[in-house]
Amino acid sequence: MSAFSSQTAIDLLRAAGRDRSTLEDEVVSLFDCFRTPLLRYLLAFRVPLSDAEEIVQDVFLLLFQHLRHDRSRENLQGWIFSVAHKRALKYHARNKRHGERFEPLPPFGDGQQDRAPGPEEQMYFNQQRERLLSIFRALPEQDRLCLSLRAEGLRYREIAGVLGISLGSVANSMARAIERLTGGAV
Amino acid sequence: MSPHLKDRDLLLAADGEPSAHLENCAHCRARLAEIEDMLAGLADARDLANRIPSAARARTLLRARLAQQSRGRTWRWRLIPAAACVCLAMIIGVRVNAGGPRPDARLTPGETRPVTLSEVCRSTEAAVVVRDIPADTQAQVFSAYGIDRRRPDQFEIDYLITPDLGGAESIRNLWPQPYTTRWNARVKDQLEQRLHQMVCSGELDLATAQRDIAVDWIAAYKKYVGDRPK
Repeated sequence: MSAFSSQTAIDLLRAAGRDRSTLEDEVVSLFDCFRTPLLRYLLAFRVPLSDAEEIVQDVFLLLFQHLRHDRSRENLQGWIFSVAHKRALKYHARNKRHGERFEPLPPFGDGQQDRAPGPEEQMYFNQQRERLLSIFRALPEQDRLCLSLRAEGLRYREIAGVLGISLGSVANSMARAIERLTGGAV
Repeated sequence: MSPHLKDRDLLLAADGEPSAHLENCAHCRARLAEIEDMLAGLADARDLANRIPSAARARTLLRARLAQQSRGRTWRWRLIPAAACVCLAMIIGVRVNAGGPRPDARLTPGETRPVTLSEVCRSTEAAVVVRDIPADTQAQVFSAYGIDRRRPDQFEIDYLITPDLGGAESIRNLWPQPYTTRWNARVKDQLEQRLHQMVCSGELDLATAQRDIAVDWIAAYKKYVGDRPK
């Protein structure tokens, strides 16, 4: 999972300090670590890919300002997801005024095949993935976002901070989501 | 009542909350492993489904924007002189091509190379990559557009007709596209992908796609993608 690599990258950057690289380079390194997890999260939040890319750009421009003003470097991962979450909320609020425009979650498959040993196993793996995705898409929004953030390596306390809900609500959402995802397991 | 931890408590324990039970219970550790496997499987499945494009262009755009911020002036302070320049240009009737969202048709009319439809459609979608254009060619383009004194990181040298639609690697097909305008490089990428998709699905013929993007890519965007940049 991405938790280890992202946190390790942050630790390395912190250890490296600002003398070794400019702030711009540091922000771009963080961008490289977190762009894909953020896009995955925003897509789970039903933001279309092109708008999600723009939100990610905004997040890292704000991060640059944040670091430039010597603000806290504690839990940058949580900070990054929290800003992205707020931007996504604004995005949906703005779109509501012009009629709801939710991006459907992307379809599975579309000619993409996994490299599995044989066609039967491949079909089995693809069916399992399709099943997971269809359950994931059907989850209530809060459960889907909690699960998405957990899959990106955030801890419960960080998820609670990003979504602005209690630790108990995160735990309940996660338990519900996992029950649905594993409950129908073959 | 089950002697084992519930899923919510298992996950809290996995997050570092102290739990002596988890350390001593093989059943709970197996259940936790099952959940972690499922989460990893979900992440893999989402990666396959999402088809997130390469970071190259997004990284270049971010670098350009960071460089702009680093120069220390916010957009609010830029707005006043920028607005003054636009007014002045309107008053004296000067059409400013350099740095605009459209290329100068005299310098960049667009040029194609001989290519077949099957070659164009060999890849399933237009590649979103920044192709390497030699530095001296880039300098020629900047010079032709009279923007050699500006910082080149404000622009991307763009193929007017993308190579994915048969565009030629010729200076007549290259122009400096600004990153920071509303109709920017990323918006044009969306058009390029849309045209590629339409050409390869037979909705549009290749020559029309090449012509429309070369004549006025913004008009083409409005025609094939939407009225406003997404």
